[in-house]
Amino acid sequence: MNGLERAFNPRTVVVVGDKKGQGFFWLKSLKSFQGQVFSVQIDPNEIPLIEELGYTNYPSLMDVPGEVDYVIVSVPRVAALSVVRDCIRKKVGGATLFTSAFAETGTEEGRDAQEELGRVAREGGLTLIGPNCMGIFHPKIGLRFSVEQYFGEGGRVGFISQSGAHVGQMAVVGALHGVRLSKGVSFGNAVVMDSTAYLEYLDKDEETDIIGMYLEGLKDGGGLFRLLREVVRRKPVVVWKGGETEDGRRAVMSHTASLTRSPQVWEAALRQTGAIPVRNLEEMVDTVKGLLYLKPPFGDRMGIVALSGGQSVVVSDAFARAGLKVPPLSPTSYKELEAFFSVVGASYRNPFDVSWQLPLDSLRRILDILERDPNIDNIAIEVSGPFLARRWESRSEFIGELMGMLVEFREQWPKPLLVMLTPVQQEAIAMEGRAEFNRVGLPSYSSFDRAAQSLKKVIDYHRFLSEA
Amino acid sequence: MSQHSVLSRARQEGRGQLTEVEAKDWLREAGFPVVETRLARSRAGAVTLSRETGFPVVLKIASPQVIHKSDAGGVKLGLNSQSAVARAYREIMASVADKHPDASLEGVSVQRMAPPGVEVIMGMSKDPQFGPVLMFGLGGIWVELLKDVAFRIVPLLPRDAREMIREIKGFPLLEGYRGSPPVHLPTLEEMLLQLSSFVEANPEIGELDLNPVFAYPDGATVADARIILEG
Repeated sequence: MNGLERAFNPRTVVVVGDKKGQGFFWLKSLKSFQGQVFSVQIDPNEIPLIEELGYTNYPSLMDVPGEVDYVIVSVPRVAALSVVRDCIRKKVGGATLFTSAFAETGTEEGRDAQEELGRVAREGGLTLIGPNCMGIFHPKIGLRFSVEQYFGEGGRVGFISQSGAHVGQMAVVGALHGVRLSKGVSFGNAVVMDSTAYLEYLDKDEETDIIGMYLEGLKDGGGLFRLLREVVRRKPVVVWKGGETEDGRRAVMSHTASLTRSPQVWEAALRQTGAIPVRNLEEMVDTVKGLLYLKPPFGDRMGIVALSGGQSVVVSDAFARAGLKVPPLSPTSYKELEAFFSVVGASYRNPFDVSWQLPLDSLRRILDILERDPNIDNIAIEVSGPFLARRWESRSEFIGELMGMLVEFREQWPKPLLVMLTPVQQEAIAMEGRAEFNRVGLPSYSSFDRAAQSLKKVIDYHRFLSEA
Repeated sequence: MSQHSVLSRARQEGRGQLTEVEAKDWLREAGFPVVETRLARSRAGAVTLSRETGFPVVLKIASPQVIHKSDAGGVKLGLNSQSAVARAYREIMASVADKHPDASLEGVSVQRMAPPGVEVIMGMSKDPQFGPVLMFGLGGIWVELLKDVAFRIVPLLPRDAREMIREIKGFPLLEGYRGSPPVHLPTLEEMLLQLSSFVEANPEIGELDLNPVFAYPDGATVADARIILEG
């Protein structure tokens, strides 16, 4: 078993140097861990407090009995190197260096310390994550780096990030959207392993179907480029590039060099590899949600039903902005609609503006018509907060019935189905509603634009694969 | 001259850039459709080479120090006779000597003037993170003005070449705009793939411009080329 495999799936974890000053957050987060956790600390003031938390403390990593799979190093920089040497002697699976004040300080001293650290770790063959990072999040086995993170039930999404904050946010914000992580890793200054090592790991990981990445700088762009080309064929990879990359521009003599800019090069890299570009956490969550829950799309033509009334124009605008089409239906569909719409009384152009009082069986009938229509590839249904609120007041069981109908509909038919639940003045109700939809695997979005962009990215990914 | 000796001569002479003739010879050897270009070290030599090449011809100053040849008055196009070539040679030498008094002037390059086509640029530069990156766009004077260019990281796949050509805003010009005939897109795609292999096989190249490339309904021709060596 290689180092990362042991570090991601440890049986024994040791935290070196956790302390009161940081609220013992490492040890507290690891209360959920299913295996053994030990502490290493030499400060006599800290040891009793650690023991109060219920952990056995040792004065040195070398004193910990048995095999150690994963070590979290949370000591000051001056002590880090000796702990890393202990990790090597102890033959641990891997170690995360939470310790900071290395190259990120921009000082020569920090850079030298990092270089020395890297040299020692590489020579000793240590799987070193970081420094200046939070390391591994594996919710299924309760391996966490914050008490706010969930544990027990994991998901199917792997997340790789330089920054620990983004793994944390992806975990908690994602969970609100029905997106749970299989494994996450924050790798900080990447002194031994860069993003590619983790991408390789998650590519092979059987718990992971979709991979998200937050990247700032890169050590080996060419390596990432080649690896992405491979991985994307097996698992979708969503990439959020943070920060403007330094161009490192020297005097150039050609037209080509004078016109080449880093953001465009990044854009080209993602387009060529089929990785899906996103610009922020919302897009990351929306895109992953679409990949998780939408059935594989086969085209870009939308059939849209708006329940709250008066929304059809702006819904169309949003989908058009995303590069999707909202075409007229087939003559057969119109004929069918005519037959019963005279009774219901509403617009039956695409998008459909139907009354919020429309009975569910009529709504189901419209959806079935859209599903059969050869001009339509995807279906989106709009439900607004006020609409839900009114329904809630009159008939609180309505949302359950609506969801049940939609779930049944989705299971019977192949076209991707999206739910748009806009807040208007009812944010709390809308949030609750969206969470409910997400829970049953109906991807729901807080705006038309977000829904449209999410679907578009999923369509583009599938198109890339089919054209490869 | 072999590719190796061209490079070592440039290095020995402390040049970071190949001459036009060196760059074009290397590219032609590598299989690119390049206009044959020869160096004339004298006025009489220019006249002789022009006659051999066939009119109309183009003369360009050959000097390692002169990078912006047109700006220095170092380019004369469409020369139709021996006397026009002789006159052009004198004018080029005088103008460049005036604008770059310290430059060493080796003579002029002589090439047959390529028939007009749609001007495009293909080039390569090195990104600090991703390494060699190819660029494609509308060429000639348009490249700096409109910056209508697309990028792809090396190595390119056929789909990358296909897509980057179609990505530029000026693509309709290549498809035949307002009655002009469409250019042969497969040739351009093939050249981009060839360029990708060429720069991969020759890491000592730091930057490269094929500009302009004339794109025709039945092919394409590299009319000018610049190769900068890795610093």
